[in-house]
Amino acid sequence: MIVLRYVKRGDLSYVSHKDILRVLQRGLKRMRVDVRYSAGFVPHMLTYTTAPIPLGAQSVAEYFTVECDGIGAEEFLTRYNAAMPSGLRGVFAWQVDKNPNLAGIVQASDYRIEAPELDAQAVERLASRDVWQIPIVRKGKEQTVDIRPMIYGLHCEQGRLHMRLATGSVANLRVDAMLRALNDACGCDLSLHDVVRTAQLARDTDGNWTDAERYLI
Amino acid sequence: MRSEIERRLPEILLQVERPARYVGGEYGLPDMDKPCRERVCICFPDKYEVGMSNIGTRILYHMLNDTDGVVCERCYAPDEDMAAALRERGLPLFSLETKRGLTEFDLVGFSIGFELQYTNIAYMMDLAGIPFYAAERDESYPPIVAGGPCVVNPMPFADFFDAVLIGDGEKNLAELTQLHMRCRRQGLSKQAFLDLACDLEGVYVPSRDNPTRRAVVRDLDRAYYPTKVLVPNCEIVHDRATIELFRGCANGCRFCQAGFYYRPIRERKPDTLLRQARELMDHTGYDELSLCSLSTGDYRALKQLTDGLKLEADKRRVKLALPSLRLDSFEAEIYEDTRGASLTFAPEAGTQRLRDVINKNVGEQDIRASLISAMERGVKNVKLYFMIGLPTEREEDLQGIVDIVRSVKDLHRAYGTSKLLNISVSTSVFIPKPLTPFQWEAQIPLEAMLEKQAWLRERLRIKNVRYNWHDAYASVVEAILARGDRALAPVIVQAYRNGCKFDSWSECFDYERWMRALETCGVSADRYTREFDEDEPLCWDAIDNGVTKSYLLAERHKSRAGLTTPNCMGDCNACGAAKLGRCYQ
Repeated sequence: MIVLRYVKRGDLSYVSHKDILRVLQRGLKRMRVDVRYSAGFVPHMLTYTTAPIPLGAQSVAEYFTVECDGIGAEEFLTRYNAAMPSGLRGVFAWQVDKNPNLAGIVQASDYRIEAPELDAQAVERLASRDVWQIPIVRKGKEQTVDIRPMIYGLHCEQGRLHMRLATGSVANLRVDAMLRALNDACGCDLSLHDVVRTAQLARDTDGNWTDAERYLI
Repeated sequence: MRSEIERRLPEILLQVERPARYVGGEYGLPDMDKPCRERVCICFPDKYEVGMSNIGTRILYHMLNDTDGVVCERCYAPDEDMAAALRERGLPLFSLETKRGLTEFDLVGFSIGFELQYTNIAYMMDLAGIPFYAAERDESYPPIVAGGPCVVNPMPFADFFDAVLIGDGEKNLAELTQLHMRCRRQGLSKQAFLDLACDLEGVYVPSRDNPTRRAVVRDLDRAYYPTKVLVPNCEIVHDRATIELFRGCANGCRFCQAGFYYRPIRERKPDTLLRQARELMDHTGYDELSLCSLSTGDYRALKQLTDGLKLEADKRRVKLALPSLRLDSFEAEIYEDTRGASLTFAPEAGTQRLRDVINKNVGEQDIRASLISAMERGVKNVKLYFMIGLPTEREEDLQGIVDIVRSVKDLHRAYGTSKLLNISVSTSVFIPKPLTPFQWEAQIPLEAMLEKQAWLRERLRIKNVRYNWHDAYASVVEAILARGDRALAPVIVQAYRNGCKFDSWSECFDYERWMRALETCGVSADRYTREFDEDEPLCWDAIDNGVTKSYLLAERHKSRAGLTTPNCMGDCNACGAAKLGRCYQ
């Protein structure tokens, strides 16, 4: 089994998560990797992804797990990069014995965005709030949601804004909603296309944040 | 340096639906940075997901990019949200690859495949800042040319273009591109280039009205066919690898334009097709492979080909799709291999008499035998296609449609191995098309179409039967444009100004806007939907498409006498297309 870390940049950031999955699976066919298939009536490739980023945002930390045989991590990465559009370049590959279930263990994502004009102190004030209520549309209905518990980190450093937001099935704060909240609160005009997801994180046994990649070694 | 378009695109893309359609970046993109002396843009007047599915433009795109010194890019009709976003910012319609405005190209080509795409030509030209009429464009605009199946009668849109390419683009577009490159090197004007273009085979220059003979690739087996094709990042209509078995059709159904236009019949050899299929599957990673031609069941080496393909496809876990099998050439064995559970039949008419009139050479016995064998194999869905409003149609012919549906149900009861059988019946409205034996026929009036549809709707209220009918209003507009002359160019522009675009999408089509456009331009619809006189000159006579007018006329007379013409796989029926190249080399 192989876990691949790949980027989602440029033109490819406008391709939806569902479409990306198909692009990746077609890539596996071009790579001639011996992928395992499900045994159902309509067999499908046994591949797994992590939580999607919103359409238009970029990432350097996307993960794709493939159940396959007869290929090592290094060879996989080489073939992958020869068979894929550059917007989905592979960064690293791990060979693992069993499915690390990244989608299940990831609980947060780190994002950064170039924001030279953003007032760092205003951001600090926002970060020190106890409650931050914003309207969010869920299932077609607008609700007021307190996003503060889902913000694990928020600070400005040398013209860059860094955010650590809840990701996953337990709690999830979409980065586009976060950006809207920031734009409203600070009167700025940050664009989703400038956002880059830089890491996906899990909590270790002591409850500290740790890069999900630790679970691949 | 990034263009103004590239710089402002991100903000636009975040606002529009399915932005992947506007960014390119597909796997298999040709080298856009190679030394380039001629930059061509192929425009397709429909959405990305439709245009990317089109095989003709796929062939030409890769052919040009594989040509020394030529770079070819693509442009599709943007959705209305994208168009509004561009207009708001004063940005022109741009190419997917290098995000250039269309006027920055050396040569621009539109591929036109369907009458209801004509307003989208105006839509795209408008967004690109290109004046509609060739006569209004000075030397600062590149030559803008048209090609595609609709050039059978290019007259309604001829005035929009500097040249119209008639026939196989592998030949005339390749030659035109070379000629234009030479002319530019010599510093010749666009007008001088167009004078020279008149001498190429299959190039009609509307401003010169030169007699034109269709360009034909004589040896299809050795013709260019791309296997390192683009693989889209988002879903498109026909999202699969495709091989083209042959061009042309031997059957001579008298309503069918494609059946006459693409003659002579030219095949690819099974070995060539197998090689192309292998390369396509390996290069694209598609999990489905389909065979394309007008009548796949008539490919002479079909068994040999599908056996070979099945082996290669299974090895790669690729599904083999076999569409468009005609009734009389339907082989149960082939069907079984595709693992599908539905059967598509197109008897086109409800009675043997009417099937003889239209020369659909399918007998009651063929239908019965094919259906029984399908039932025994456990078919769960049967789709039946018919036409209404065919010449000489009577009520008993409509009754015949109902009878066929009932007999399918009876056969299922007697022979079926599946528990349930769903039958879907679709009717389209007959549209007289140029270059067919029915090119002189009238289209039935709108009221008659609606009546016939209502009549069938009433009688097809049968359990597990679904009846779909093609929009009558759109069929009227399609008929007007199909046999239209140059008087329709201003009507198309007016219709566009009235808000018509994406007419082939039923949710966008607006009959009233079209009728208002005709009225504004003082053109009567009846002029194009009436029965044409056999002696009157037809506006598409200027173009020699191969099949002769006298042959079409003789076929019309035979049809009226209820006489059929055998298909051309046995003896040659001398339709005239052989002068362009022999059938079945």
